[in-house]
This record gives sequence, structure tokens and C-alpha cells, in this order.
Amino acid sequence: MGQVGEPRPVLEVTDARCHVRHGDVQKDIFAGLSLTLYAGQIVDLVGPSGSGKSTLMECMAQLNADADATMTLDGRSADGFTPEQWRTQVAYVPQRPVLMGGTVAEAIRYPFTLRVRRDSSVRVPDDDTLRRALDDIGLDDVELDRSPQDLSVGQQARVCLLRTLLTGPKVLLADEVDAGLDPDNAMRAAHLLKRAADEGMAVCRVRHREPDGMAMRTLELADGVLTDVTGRAAVGVAKTTAASNDTDTTDTTDTTDTTDTEAQA
Amino acid sequence: MNINDVLVTGTEGAASDYPIDNWGLLVALLLVALAAVISAVLKLGVERRLLWATVRSLVQLLAMGLIISYVIQVNQWWLVFALLGVMIIAAVQITLTRGSGLPKGLVPPVFLTLLASAVLMFSVVVELIIRPQPWYAPQVVVTMVGMLLGNVVSAIAVAITRLFDDMRTRRYEIETMLAWGATPLEAAMPSITSAVRLGLIPTIAQLASSGIVLIPGMMAGQIIAGGDPVQAARYQFVVLAVISSLTALADTLIVMLVYRVAFTENHRLRTDL
Repeated sequence: MGQVGEPRPVLEVTDARCHVRHGDVQKDIFAGLSLTLYAGQIVDLVGPSGSGKSTLMECMAQLNADADATMTLDGRSADGFTPEQWRTQVAYVPQRPVLMGGTVAEAIRYPFTLRVRRDSSVRVPDDDTLRRALDDIGLDDVELDRSPQDLSVGQQARVCLLRTLLTGPKVLLADEVDAGLDPDNAMRAAHLLKRAADEGMAVCRVRHREPDGMAMRTLELADGVLTDVTGRAAVGVAKTTAASNDTDTTDTTDTTDTTDTEAQA
Repeated sequence: MNINDVLVTGTEGAASDYPIDNWGLLVALLLVALAAVISAVLKLGVERRLLWATVRSLVQLLAMGLIISYVIQVNQWWLVFALLGVMIIAAVQITLTRGSGLPKGLVPPVFLTLLASAVLMFSVVVELIIRPQPWYAPQVVVTMVGMLLGNVVSAIAVAITRLFDDMRTRRYEIETMLAWGATPLEAAMPSITSAVRLGLIPTIAQLASSGIVLIPGMMAGQIIAGGDPVQAARYQFVVLAVISSLTALADTLIVMLVYRVAFTENHRLRTDL
């Protein structure tokens, strides 16, 4: 990382909660969760499926109708943002790639056509910028005027990630964007995010793959509780080659709180 | 006036050149029965609904005939508008039962849309183009607004059904767009366009085919009743053109009024859409 001094908190989340209702039955997916994302850091969010990792991300991006939280961005309360302004800064990339428009270039520029960016400082990327950005992530064989529907799922996932990165958010929430990718392409996606983090973006990833060494911290969401498992995940790297499940590895490895992290219910 | 008058002779004056007697009604019913038999033989499974709808339409039309002749007799403006009010309320109910997969809370916007188009129909066609004496002449006002409502009900039922269907299938696309900072309107726009377009297709088709393959009911009625065919054609054109444009307006209005139902107050897509 090569950063000197204290990491700068970008997104501070307290009391994240999600209730769902099925008829008369009220169910808490999680409640009272807190976490902080720092500039220049990648944080991995792991945990069993159905534990609410995606929901927590949607909650941070103010996208989930059932979830809410008290949040600040660069010290400014979320109340001071419209939902649209907030989402341009805390950008969620859903797991399922969705590319709209007739060409790849059009698909990538789509977010720039929205009203919220009409007088923003972020410039619409020109063809050269798009070309270079695509080449960078191993999509040098994807022409700008190709139909996005012709791309493979892995290519689509990377284009979606690139599209959001080009809008220049402060926080990027990537929901299993490497799920459909082979190891090479997953690594390319990881490097793309690493570079964004190195430029000061706060990045959070939901992942099901084995740790790739990019994350500075790993948080586990299980049974509505968020735990910092950074230490354990490191142990997990060695073990996961044998046992793919790193949640039930020895709990003797204490979570050494070197970074003064939060992550508790 | 009693029900027998309606059944035997039709109302006085109207359609009097060639009145339809009870045998005529019976023949028409028998033909529907034949269609029902075909449905039963081919196992189409629509015979019950067909017969029920036919009986309903006969009763409703005769009832409407009776009511209109009563309103014409009384000849009071408030009675005309009371009847229009009842028609609009019935139209709300019919619109919502025709649509499928609709969320709750659509009664006010549907009512507002039907009311707005009825008011426009009344002011434009009745008072600006036809200018009847007296200004509330029930035989003009009730029939014109009735024809309009018939069209608008079908169009907006199609439009709102399509709107919510399309938003459900575009769910991931909408979520992605919201995540970029799109407003609910921006995220819903593709669905809005496709819903308005679909609602308008029958109306446009009707405009284009009228006169060639189809003599619309109103023109046919006037000619049968002994009216001047060219005058009937002018009438029919005005009605078709205005109904088409008002249907387009109603279509746009309803979709713009209801798309927000799919979103929460703080611009999130509802999970129970």
C-alpha cells in the first residue's frame, strides 16, 4: 500500500439494519452493524450465502428498500445528500452484469447521461480513454462498437466494473464481480480494483473465492453479526487449499486488532 | 317509459327506421350460443365466459338505454353529470380488473386519469365542436364521453399492466441504473415508453383501418337511423381523432402517475413489486 500515517475514513456506517417481512412474520437479517471503509483500502466481506452480504452493500448504497443505516461520507452526514448524489459517490456494482445500449462504448457511457452527472466534474470518457481502459483489463479484443450482448459473462462483468470505476466514486462496493470469472480474469478484476484503491478509492468486495491477497481486512457476516476475521483469513489462505471452507478453521487464532477496526454487532 | 317499450320498439325516435324487435335480439343470442357450442366442441374452455359476457352486455346496454332515455326526459344538467360520475367510477373498477399483476394504490391515479380525459372530451368535442343545445344535451354528452371512456379504459389497462410487467422483467436493469445515481423516472423510462406505446397501438390501428375494413359503430348507427352518410362520416372522424389523441394523453398521464408506485419514498425499488 505504501501509505504513511493513519488511514483516512471515507464511509462510516453505524446501526446498519435490515428487516424483511413475509406476511406477518418479521425477520431481522441484521441489526446494529457498524463498519468503516478507509481510503486506499480493499476490504473483503465474506460469509455464508444468505447471510446478507449483498443486502449490507445495497444498504450502504441506499438501494435496499428494507435496509437502512446511519452513515457519513467524508464526515458529511448522508442526510445531506439526495439518494442519487449519494449513489454516485458510494457506487454499488451488482453481481449480475447488466449492459444496456447498442455498443460497448454506449454501455460504458450510459451513467454519464444521467441528470445527476449533468454538471459534474467527472468528464465523459472519450474513445481513447475507453480503449486504453479496456486494454488494461485484458479486453483488448473487445471493439468499442461491438454489441455488449456478444460479450462473454466474464467480459461483461469486467466491463460493468470498469463502467462504474470510470464514474469516479469515492467508495466502490463490488458484489461478487469475480464470481463468473476464471482465475486469470478474476485476478485481472482484482488488479483493477487494487489500482483504484491505490488511487485513493475505498473498496469493499463481497467474495466467495479464496483470498487473493488484495484485501487489507476481511469481515465476516454470519447470523447477523459482523466480525473482523482478518487474522483468520490469513491462516485460511494456507488451509483453504485443503478445505475450501475457511469459516470453521480453528478459532484459536485471535483477531489481532492492529488496525483499530470496529466490526461488531 | 317501461322496460317493455325498450324491448319492443326501442326508444322513441332513435333507430326508428329499422327498429330491432325481440326476434332480432333472439337471433343474435342464438348466434352467440352457436359460438359457445363451437367453443365447447373444440374444448376452448371459453363458452361460460362468452355466454356470461353476452348476457351481461345485453342487460347493461338495455339498462344504459333506459337510463339515457330517462336522463333525456328529465333533461337536467346535474343528472347528466351524475350519470357521468357513475360511469367514471365503473370505469375505474373495470380498468383495475382488466389489468393484471397490478400493485395496490392505483385507484386514485386511475380515477384522476379517467376524470381528466372525460373533462377534456366534454370541453373539446361537446362544447367546442358539436355545441349542442342545451349545452348539457344528454344524448350528445353521455354518448360521447361513454365512447371515450370505453377506449381509454382499454388503453390504460394495457398500459399499466405493461408498465409493471416491464419493470419486473427489467428489475436488474433498474437496480443497476439506480446504483449509478439514476432517478426513479430515469430508471423507469424505458418501461414507461414501452407501456405508452403498447397502450396506443389499438387506437392507431383503429384510426388507420376505419372506413376501409370497418365502418365504426357510431357512423353505422347514424346511417341506419336515416342520417346523412357524409355527415355521419364527419362526426365519426371527429370522434375517432379526438378519442385517439385523448387516449394518448390518458396513456401518458396514467403511466407518469403510477410508475412511482414501484419505488419507495427514498428512491429505492420496492421488493414486493
